[in-house]
Amino acid sequence: MTGQAVLAAAGGVTGGEQITFWILAPLALMGAIGTVWARNAVHSALWLVLTMLCLGVFYVLQSGPFIGMVQIIVYTGAIMMLFLFVLMLVGRDASDSLIETLRGQRIAAILLGLGFGALVATGLWRALGQADAVGLEQANANGNVQGIAALLFTRYVFAFEITSALLITAAVGAMVLAHVERRRQDRMDQVATMKARFRPGNYPGPKPGPGVYATSSSVATPARLPDGGLTERSVPQILPQRELSEEDKALKGTEK
Amino acid sequence: MDLKLPDIDYAALAPILVLFGASLVGVLVEAFIPRKRRHLTQLVLGLLALTGALVAVVLNAQDRVVTAGGAVAVDGPTLFLQGAIVVLAGMALMLIGERSVQRGGAFVAHAAVTVGSPEDQRQAADEGGATEVYPLTLFAVSGMLLFVAANDLLTMFIALEAFSLPLYLLCALARRRRLLSQESALKYFLLGSYASAFFLFGMALVYGFTVGAGGTGSGGGVDFGTIRTAVTDSAASEVLLFAGLALLSIGLLFKIAAAPFHVWTPDVYQGAPTPITGFMAACTKVAAFGGLLRVLHVAFSGASWDFTPVLGAIAVLTMLVGAILAVTQTDIKRLLAYSSVANAGYLLVGALVLSKDGLSSTMFYLVAYGFTVLAAFGVVTLVRDADGEATHLSRWAGLGRRSPLYAGLFTFLLLAFAGIPLTSGFTSKFAVFGAALDAGQSWLVIAGVLTSMILAFPYLRVVVMMWLSEPGESTPTVSLPGGLTAAALMIGVVATLVLGVAPAPLLDLANGAAEFVR
Amino acid sequence: MEHSVEYAHATGLLGSVWLLVAIPLVSAAILLLLGRRADRWGHWLGVASVGAIFVLGLSYFFSLRGLENRSVELSLWDFIAVGDLHVDFGLLFDPLAAVFVLLITGVGFLIHLYAVGYMSHDAGRRKFFGFFNLFVAAMLLLVLGNNYVMLYVGWEGVGLASYLLISFWQDRPSAATAGKKAFLMNRVGDAGLAIAIFIMFATLGSTQFADVFNGAGALQSGTVLAIGLLLLLGAAGKSGQFPLQAWLPDAMEGPTPVSALIHAATMVTAGVYLIARSNPIFSLDPTLQTVVVSVGALTLLMGCIIGAAKDDIKRVLAWSTVSQIGYMFLGVGLGGGAYALAIIHLLAHGFFKANMFLGAGSVMHGMQDQVDIRRFGGLAKYMKITWITFGLGWLAIIGMWPFSGFFTKEPIIVEAFARGDWTAWLYGGAALLGAGLTAFYMTRLFVLTFHGPKRWTEDIAHPHESPLIMTVPLILLGLGSVVAGGLMATPVASWLTPVLGHGEHHEPVLSHTVITVLSLGLTVLGAGLAWLLFRNGTALVEQPAGPVVRAARRNLYTDAFNEAVFEKPGIFLTRALVFLDNRGIDGLVNALAAAVGGGSGRLRRLQTGFVRSYAMSILTGAVLVVAAFLAVQLGWLA
Repeated sequence: MTGQAVLAAAGGVTGGEQITFWILAPLALMGAIGTVWARNAVHSALWLVLTMLCLGVFYVLQSGPFIGMVQIIVYTGAIMMLFLFVLMLVGRDASDSLIETLRGQRIAAILLGLGFGALVATGLWRALGQADAVGLEQANANGNVQGIAALLFTRYVFAFEITSALLITAAVGAMVLAHVERRRQDRMDQVATMKARFRPGNYPGPKPGPGVYATSSSVATPARLPDGGLTERSVPQILPQRELSEEDKALKGTEK
Repeated sequence: MDLKLPDIDYAALAPILVLFGASLVGVLVEAFIPRKRRHLTQLVLGLLALTGALVAVVLNAQDRVVTAGGAVAVDGPTLFLQGAIVVLAGMALMLIGERSVQRGGAFVAHAAVTVGSPEDQRQAADEGGATEVYPLTLFAVSGMLLFVAANDLLTMFIALEAFSLPLYLLCALARRRRLLSQESALKYFLLGSYASAFFLFGMALVYGFTVGAGGTGSGGGVDFGTIRTAVTDSAASEVLLFAGLALLSIGLLFKIAAAPFHVWTPDVYQGAPTPITGFMAACTKVAAFGGLLRVLHVAFSGASWDFTPVLGAIAVLTMLVGAILAVTQTDIKRLLAYSSVANAGYLLVGALVLSKDGLSSTMFYLVAYGFTVLAAFGVVTLVRDADGEATHLSRWAGLGRRSPLYAGLFTFLLLAFAGIPLTSGFTSKFAVFGAALDAGQSWLVIAGVLTSMILAFPYLRVVVMMWLSEPGESTPTVSLPGGLTAAALMIGVVATLVLGVAPAPLLDLANGAAEFVR
Repeated sequence: MEHSVEYAHATGLLGSVWLLVAIPLVSAAILLLLGRRADRWGHWLGVASVGAIFVLGLSYFFSLRGLENRSVELSLWDFIAVGDLHVDFGLLFDPLAAVFVLLITGVGFLIHLYAVGYMSHDAGRRKFFGFFNLFVAAMLLLVLGNNYVMLYVGWEGVGLASYLLISFWQDRPSAATAGKKAFLMNRVGDAGLAIAIFIMFATLGSTQFADVFNGAGALQSGTVLAIGLLLLLGAAGKSGQFPLQAWLPDAMEGPTPVSALIHAATMVTAGVYLIARSNPIFSLDPTLQTVVVSVGALTLLMGCIIGAAKDDIKRVLAWSTVSQIGYMFLGVGLGGGAYALAIIHLLAHGFFKANMFLGAGSVMHGMQDQVDIRRFGGLAKYMKITWITFGLGWLAIIGMWPFSGFFTKEPIIVEAFARGDWTAWLYGGAALLGAGLTAFYMTRLFVLTFHGPKRWTEDIAHPHESPLIMTVPLILLGLGSVVAGGLMATPVASWLTPVLGHGEHHEPVLSHTVITVLSLGLTVLGAGLAWLLFRNGTALVEQPAGPVVRAARRNLYTDAFNEAVFEKPGIFLTRALVFLDNRGIDGLVNALAAAVGGGSGRLRRLQTGFVRSYAMSILTGAVLVVAAFLAVQLGWLA
């Protein structure tokens, strides 16, 4: 609470704050650009994490410790990590082409983005260049969290309550779009399951695990059968099969 | 520290709360009622809730209050537009609940099933549609009711999201042509989020402006009263104000489908299940314009000299784009989508007239257009063949021979869109253009009349096609509507006729309501 | 105008006067919308609705008698409110409207009843009754409207119904053509009426009867004359008066009940109603009155002369309608007390002409739909009821004492002789001559049809009397032909006083007795002459004849005149315009359309279907909007 009080009292821009800003701002910008630029979705997400972390620090710097912490804990910690898990579970689909098919789309998008940024930035510069920041003391007079709470329970109480509608809608939407309810007649009992298992053409045993080699233990590497051939059944279907290179196949001097 | 909790006038909020409550009950129904009975339960619940909300609106008719800590304003325009949304949503709910035109209704049973798989074909053939659409619709309607009543930008933003999110979901749930439907939902969602971001950015800038305008020491705010005061007597730099207003208006113009923010409209209108398309075309338009009207009339009226040229240019562009692009459309739903874009332009003409006349004529237009467009999409649901709705225009050739009644009704609705006298299309255009002329915005009216002429062409092309072409092998049959569609269709057509022949009562009502509390 | 026109607001029973229009309208809607499902009982619904409004009309009539002012106004809703123009959807029930309501519903009811029998073999009977009810609704709106716009709505409504009914048998080319002819000629008149209404609104700011009549006195005389002449054009179009008379005889292509109700008893008298209703305007300008009188006198003679040369039973009756309406125009043109006389003649005419048309229908019904009177003869023996009732109508129309025509036509002749100057001789003489000619051709018709030797075509063995449902209306209308005129003459005149005012009475140039004797004498002379000429039948085919008869057979060359003066130049003008249109305007329009289409095609390519390209479009818009706002505000561009 003391650090917060110090920051809140300061009002103006202190040296430490400036230094932090000039270090983190390029990082945040880099993260944002990287999010768009990266070809790999996992990399994109990680770049985004960087940007969000920087933003969280900015909020704290600007005497908004609550929102800063929420940013870091909820967005960066929870949501983005969940996002990463999902990405890794699903696996990156290599078939997605990243080649732009629309002529001029990228150039135009970059130019327009720069134009929009320049427009807003110059506008803000003109408007705020000489202006002093005001009102921080009043906003944090009773403490930052208390200040937010006061707003949430007075002026924005209705908006706050209505967000519940958003959350319920989101939950219902996820259910509707993702959940398939199995019909009763499709559920198989033990006998039927067993019959299906031992039906001709179905292999009743468990599937083999992926191949484990000295140089590679990826789940994408298929296992070898006793005859030396590779088995596709050892690899999850959604993953692209990893080809063994010459080096992988070469004897490692451990065969004695 | 002691907090003074705000007084909340629950009676004034009743329409919103009733629908919100009903949608929660609807979610519970999904959990606890057996699947077979859900459809009927949800439909009855939905219609009852809308009736309840309408009753609440009527009981509130004399209310002119700002409540819930200044976040919600219940006044004439709020109540008029809330009533309009509730009535139109009732019609839309009838279309949504129709199950006799197509087995199982217009919605898919399990959206997660892979498109085209045997499982999918089975569910398309004989499973009842997902009943979650009812609570989702009610969520959307309650969000719309709040949107037209919101008295600060933050509440407005939450309301915007609260009615958009269910719509994104509903768009994805078509029973036929599911890939198109899912694609449209994703597009709508992505672009909607994009536009929301602009709105938020604008809100931040406007907040900054009010802080600066208040001078050192006083807090700013995003409620319309504060903004209004700041706009009227401000010494601060107005760059923040105008950059903020520009960005805010982008978010709103996206929702009303004004060019060049209309790009999502044709794809989404085409892909979404037709009852949802009708719902969006009627109710979303009313809600979005309700919000825009309040923003322009209450918060930023002091800056009208500055925003009128810009938004006027957008109105002209919208009318032109809608009219010109409608000319070459070959799909009836896309045609109606472009017509709705053009109508957004006409409505924008009215919305830019910051007088009582402008307000009342715009509100009248919204209601009249809502009825007509819902009925038109109702007819579209009926023209179908074995694969579902036949929306390609060539399939409509000779429909007048196959089914004179529905072709006749559709012709009437098209004539209303074209603004032929004795239809509501004429009276509403007349009212809006008249108000704009009185306000000296004759350039907007000229553009409006010229584009109306262009727009008449695609409508008449459909009419000619239906009546003067011989029905071919591929001319689809027209299903006999079930009671619900028939009722919705009848309400829409009768309203279109009555508002064209005797518009005075509704005009008087709109006139009496055309006063914001400030 | 020394007295101002005011109407009380309708209360009590009279508050439901709108039912008169609503009931037949609803019935028509049911009949036309239900389709074949209503085929079995539809015609009875049609009859019942008209019967119901007849009873209602009677009760309104009696409640009106109790009122001091004898007129009530009922404003239902604001029909049109555009700027300064306010048009009420309002009804006016006053003595003039009341007598028309009774005529339309009373005679209408009988004719509906008759049509049940007449149309019993027609597959389209339900549709027929739908149109018929539509007509009744429109006609009642016409006479009940309290402003010129409502009147115009009804006016167009009856025009529409008339068009639909004339071409009811649309598979006959002659019926379709006749329908078109009626429609087009009516448009000419309607345009006149419409322009008159525009002028009223432009000069008086209102189209309410009360405002127009109170304000007309203050208008410039030129304006009054223009309004009056345009109203007259409208009236002439609807009532088949010179120069727009040609459509009415052709309109007989429709089913006979249509001819009886629409083209004899009610719709064609709408012109008379219009002029009588607008009497405060017409009374303002003597020139105007003279024009009306001249139109009436000319038409009544024309009708008689052409009627005498025709051989089609319904066309003879049609020309006699033209001629009788000429008498009515003569009456309303004379002004003053003659307004009421014209209305009384109109009412009496409604009875006896409807009676005769239905009689003609009955004859056709029995004679396999033949209409040529040269191939009738001797029917009196086979169709006793038709013969007697038709005979009563015949005596009424030629003005024989004590039948109704005598009491209603005679005063108009007297009034024509009472014009102050030398024109009394002109118009009085025309009216007197007309009476004699009427007697001649009507007797010719009567004798050739019912008496003399049989001249039937071979395929007719036994003409039969019509069924009861057709003869009962005939008998009732026949009774009306006898007594209506005598009973109505005095009471109706005083009943109408609040609307039409008291006329100052001039003394006729000949004494009353002399005129009566002359007219009766001429009537007997004409009838006798016809009896002598035609009691032994006539030639079966058209005979060569002198110039007068030839001219009369060719409708006095009016059709040829129309063709030469209007049609030929019209066609030429149309061709020239088409040429101009194809080369000039269409070129321009096509270029514009091509430009729009091309633009549309090009713009469509921007709609790629890719969400990133949509997002870019939104971003472009955002950049432009923000730039524009900042530019407008900060003058960055300047």
